[in-house]
Amino acid sequence: MARRIEFKVGLFITIVTILILASITYVAYRKDVFSIVHTYTLSSKTGENLTVGMPVAVWGFTIGKVSSLELNDQGIVLIQIKIPERHIRMIRANSKFILDKPLIGIPRIVVQTSDLGDRPLSPQAIPELTESNDINEIIKRAQPIIEKADRIMANIEGITAKLDDPEGDVNRILRETETLIARFSKRDSLLEIAIGDPESIKAIHESLRKIKEITARVDGILQRIDAMAGKTDEELYGPDGVLPQFRNILRDLLMKLAKIDTTFDNINQVSAEAVDSTKNLKGLRNELDETIMTIRNLADEIDRKIPFKTQPEIKLP
Amino acid sequence: MRTTSSLLGTLAFAAGVFLSIFDRRTYNSASRTVFIHQFYFTSVQILPLFLSVAAVFGSLINGMAFQVIKNLGLTDYLGRLLMGFVVTELAPFVTVLLLALRSSAAINAEIAVMKVNRELDTLEHFRIDLLHYLFVPRILSGMLSMIFLTSVFALVVLSVGLIVSGLIFGTGVDAYFDTLLNAADIFDIIVLLIKCATFGFFITMIPIGFGLRATRELTSIPVSVLNGMVTVFLAIIIIEVLSSIIRFI
Repeated sequence: MARRIEFKVGLFITIVTILILASITYVAYRKDVFSIVHTYTLSSKTGENLTVGMPVAVWGFTIGKVSSLELNDQGIVLIQIKIPERHIRMIRANSKFILDKPLIGIPRIVVQTSDLGDRPLSPQAIPELTESNDINEIIKRAQPIIEKADRIMANIEGITAKLDDPEGDVNRILRETETLIARFSKRDSLLEIAIGDPESIKAIHESLRKIKEITARVDGILQRIDAMAGKTDEELYGPDGVLPQFRNILRDLLMKLAKIDTTFDNINQVSAEAVDSTKNLKGLRNELDETIMTIRNLADEIDRKIPFKTQPEIKLP
Repeated sequence: MRTTSSLLGTLAFAAGVFLSIFDRRTYNSASRTVFIHQFYFTSVQILPLFLSVAAVFGSLINGMAFQVIKNLGLTDYLGRLLMGFVVTELAPFVTVLLLALRSSAAINAEIAVMKVNRELDTLEHFRIDLLHYLFVPRILSGMLSMIFLTSVFALVVLSVGLIVSGLIFGTGVDAYFDTLLNAADIFDIIVLLIKCATFGFFITMIPIGFGLRATRELTSIPVSVLNGMVTVFLAIIIIEVLSSIIRFI
């Protein structure tokens, strides 16, 4: 019995000890407890939002943490960060260190490295820690929206005040609308509904009657003007009127012009024929020139073939 | 005055026991046998019940907590919840409650009965050091049991968390372990181990001390156990508060 108990206890202690040690060792290994750690120093004008143990992240991954904070004689906060050997390639000379303060969550130092091929950051270098303030950025962006909302609220307040005020615009419009509807329901004519004053309507009716009388008078005047215009037409367009006589004169003139036109046509034809004759003379001259040239060529050919100058005599066969 | 005297007496007894832990005379075959038996009764016998409680409790806590985290959109805090709350706070608390309910009460009653039956007087008559033979093995057993059972509880809860996390968030094994590792801190683990050892020390030392306060009458046994268990409960609360202060301040 005692042996059995000892075995069970021994087995339990062994298994659990192995599990505990393995877990702690694995966590320690993953936490870079056994790896070489490089220390860099950053500077900041303020130590606000900086705490020991704060994570240092690259592209969202934690690669190290703040190991100590110190205020030097010049009033500059010196921040020491520890980066394990396996993440050291992320820290280059061109790396920028930014204190990121998200709206929700803990602040952290974000490393931004534009060129990973750059030379490593010297442990003696003290780059400055810049600040990225998300909360202030959000407030800055939200400011115009808040101002607009304020204006909208002021307008709504104004409208509400006008609604509350019995003499306000809104209530006045409502009252007038109510009056108009009441008139629609009571009055006979649209004009009376629109104006609402019987005296004004009488005045309008009187004006319309006078306009009708004036129209009748104007009609009479126009009839008389028409009669006068008829007489004028007789003098102008009658059988012995001015216009028929003028038309006869024009007709005679046209006949004469037709005759002159024929004469001009003849003259034009004669001129054209003279021009053609001139063209024929030019062609004849050209033909003569060609004939002379042909005869000259023939003579030269004969001269070449029969040399008269050296043997003036020709022996006949 | 009486309370202060009692507290001082308890602290003096604790100091004596603590020094005896580092005394070589404590570690002999007789005390080893006592230690093994006590460890068996405290840790191994309770294991089936303890594993069941850990699995059920882990599933319940993980399921509720993960659902809340999902609803609030705080998935990034999953690791912190598991390591910072479940492992470092919940696991030792549940373990110490179970051990206190089971073993502390038993130890208190056992010592009180030995005192009433004058067994302790007999041992002393034979010049057997009670501290080395009876108390220190039990206290060491309590300390180791707390550390081991808390670790088992944490492992079970984290294993259940992997399943629950996979069901609720669709998290893979690698992502789950990465989340835990990012949230894990060696300092927290060290504090956890120290806290467990402290719990184990006091939940066994206090019942022993109160068992020794029993008189020659049988009726003093339940009184001794009652007072001892109440003090154990207060000690658990004080240690929990102190560990939280050390971790967060």
